[in-house]
Amino acid sequence: MEGAQREALLREMLEELGRSGYEELSVDAALRAAGVPRPEFETEFGGKDKCLFAAYEHLTGQIVERTAAVCASTASWPERVRAGLTELLTQAAAEPRLAQAVTRSFPGIRPDTYQCYVDLLARFTPLMVEGRDYSGVAEELPAEVELLAVGAAEAIIFSEVDAGRTERLPEMVPEILFSVLVPFMGPERAADEMREAAAAR
Amino acid sequence: MSDVGIDSGILSPSERERILHAMAELCAQRGYEATTVAAIAERAGVSEATFTELFGDKEGCVASAFDAVLGEVLAVVAAAYSPDQSEWDSATQGIKSILEFMAAHPSFAQLSYIGVRQMGPRSLNTPYDAGVRMLAAMFDRGRDYSPTDNQPASAARAAIGGAEAVVRREIAAGRSENLPALLPQFIYGSTVPFLGQEEAMRLYHRAEELLAGTDWA
Repeated sequence: MEGAQREALLREMLEELGRSGYEELSVDAALRAAGVPRPEFETEFGGKDKCLFAAYEHLTGQIVERTAAVCASTASWPERVRAGLTELLTQAAAEPRLAQAVTRSFPGIRPDTYQCYVDLLARFTPLMVEGRDYSGVAEELPAEVELLAVGAAEAIIFSEVDAGRTERLPEMVPEILFSVLVPFMGPERAADEMREAAAAR
Repeated sequence: MSDVGIDSGILSPSERERILHAMAELCAQRGYEATTVAAIAERAGVSEATFTELFGDKEGCVASAFDAVLGEVLAVVAAAYSPDQSEWDSATQGIKSILEFMAAHPSFAQLSYIGVRQMGPRSLNTPYDAGVRMLAAMFDRGRDYSPTDNQPASAARAAIGGAEAVVRREIAAGRSENLPALLPQFIYGSTVPFLGQEEAMRLYHRAEELLAGTDWA
């Protein structure tokens, strides 16, 4: 299957998943939207599940890459986290059905799909490690502090997506930023960063 | 600690309990959608008619399990509170009891933390949401001791979400028995937005001492 067509199909599959859920997902609708003949789909993926796994891996990989690219500037770590968070939430708000598919529909299918979601969260934790340099205490921060930060953001993002308020996410950057930074920097400095983010909007 | 759903007061506790366990195990193995009433009844060794008499349908069964888990969680947290210790020591003991309860009931842990996100009907989330709101209110009291009053309204919910991400990772990996060991991480993440890093680290070490069985008085 040609690259652009494959990309279109993977995106349509997740869109369709976000729209209809797993049980009602129509592969034919995704094939029609992507302009992919059924035999090519069968040859490439064999079935719905393999295509969905490929779609999830591919599209979440793009999300992580885009976020990491934005975080790779020379600005300070809190500023880069803010930029990465803004990029992530803007992407989600622009494509609410994909956000629904990534956070709820696909992970909710069964245990092996949920594991993909756990793995996705883990892929954001390397972006947090530098936060340890900003700690206000001399001793080493807890071992899980990176996932505590990522999970804090995820909890708010998930609840907004699940409630059908995905479009609100970009305006929530300041408060989510607070919760991502606070395990590393404490509440006073995290609140300073939150205020700066709000003022920059 | 009592077992989940043991005190139904409706029919034979063993039947009810077997069904709840079978449902939780199947949801953990297959996911909610793929779990059928027939499969639950077969695994529990009861007829579908008995299932229907007890729970009505699959949603009713799941709702009963969530209600039972929430009841246990509320009970262990309430038992952990004592006027003879600080509220943070009480909170630490309450979280410890919750993590121990989940470790002892891995399929219910899976249902409560991961399965809840798989359910179609949002009404099934109600007991989970109530439990999270209770924990958020517990840690939100840290605002009274905070060096700043600028935390966003979502700070406690987000902090608990951070701890839940660690809990979910362990459950998804089949390591529910490790949950009690996460207590210090849970306490640090849930208190640092309000009490600051220094105090949160002190409570982190205090939670380590509690796990190690050090005299806590």
